[in-house]
Amino acid sequence: MRWATRAGVHVDRTASAWLIRRFVDPDAEFLFVGDPDEVPADATAFDMRGAELSHKGGDCTFETLLRRYELDDPALWAIARIVHEADLEDERYDAPEARGLDVLLRGLSMIRSDEEMLELAGALYDGLYEHERRATMLGGEPS
Amino acid sequence: MPPAADQWVLLVYRLQREPSTPRIALWRKLKRLGVAQLLDGLVALPLDSRNREQLEWIADEVVELGGAASVWIAAPGGAAQARALAATLQAAVAEEYRAVIDQAHTAAAMPGGRQRRTLARLRRQLGRIRRRDYFPPRERELAQRAVEALAERLEAAA
Repeated sequence: MRWATRAGVHVDRTASAWLIRRFVDPDAEFLFVGDPDEVPADATAFDMRGAELSHKGGDCTFETLLRRYELDDPALWAIARIVHEADLEDERYDAPEARGLDVLLRGLSMIRSDEEMLELAGALYDGLYEHERRATMLGGEPS
Repeated sequence: MPPAADQWVLLVYRLQREPSTPRIALWRKLKRLGVAQLLDGLVALPLDSRNREQLEWIADEVVELGGAASVWIAAPGGAAQARALAATLQAAVAEEYRAVIDQAHTAAAMPGGRQRRTLARLRRQLGRIRRRDYFPPRERELAQRAVEALAERLEAAA
């Protein structure tokens, strides 16, 4: 399937693309557009004004995707809290990791293309997922 | 005199008075971003991709709540107007920095444990203010120094 989002990806879009490829559509192909009007008819838009898979009722797109695809893995929700705070900074959650993730991705986006961002951030989220998975299993910080 | 931003992103919105909870939540979000209120239902931020995106999400939220909203990119009609707008934003964050400075001074007289908690809180508060500090006032540096002085005092006492 083809998926489209706004160019100039940051936390919420990289995390959402990772989630889509890893848990929703392993063959996902991503395109980046400048305006919602440029989304091709056969592509599913996400993190974009007017798209169903977007910010909704105070949730960021990553959270909307978790709800839409009924992904209730606690490790994914742990990542969702970090992504939410990095993206919205509304202090709904206590996620001190958010500030660090925001800075790392902001820096990367200055020197890498959107395609490369998905690659690099993907590895980061794979690691974060593993970390949160072990943390949920152990009920504490994994060593 | 603060530098003037050439381009601004504006949010025009209207949301019913009742219920008041979503209105208050909305205003809190706008305050967190550090908007300049031009009129009732018209706010402005210096244009950058983050500010534009945040205002677009808020516009969508207003519509979701049954109100009306749109986002515009605008340039002030004159330099004096631009400077006045920047000065308003600068004065607002200066006030916030002064509150941090006062609290850092008050904390110096507190017992160690409370001092430590206050330090952590003031550092977080400084971080939040810096995110919406588009035209840094002199107080930014002073607040930074007041908080670091508190940290050094704690370090010395340990």
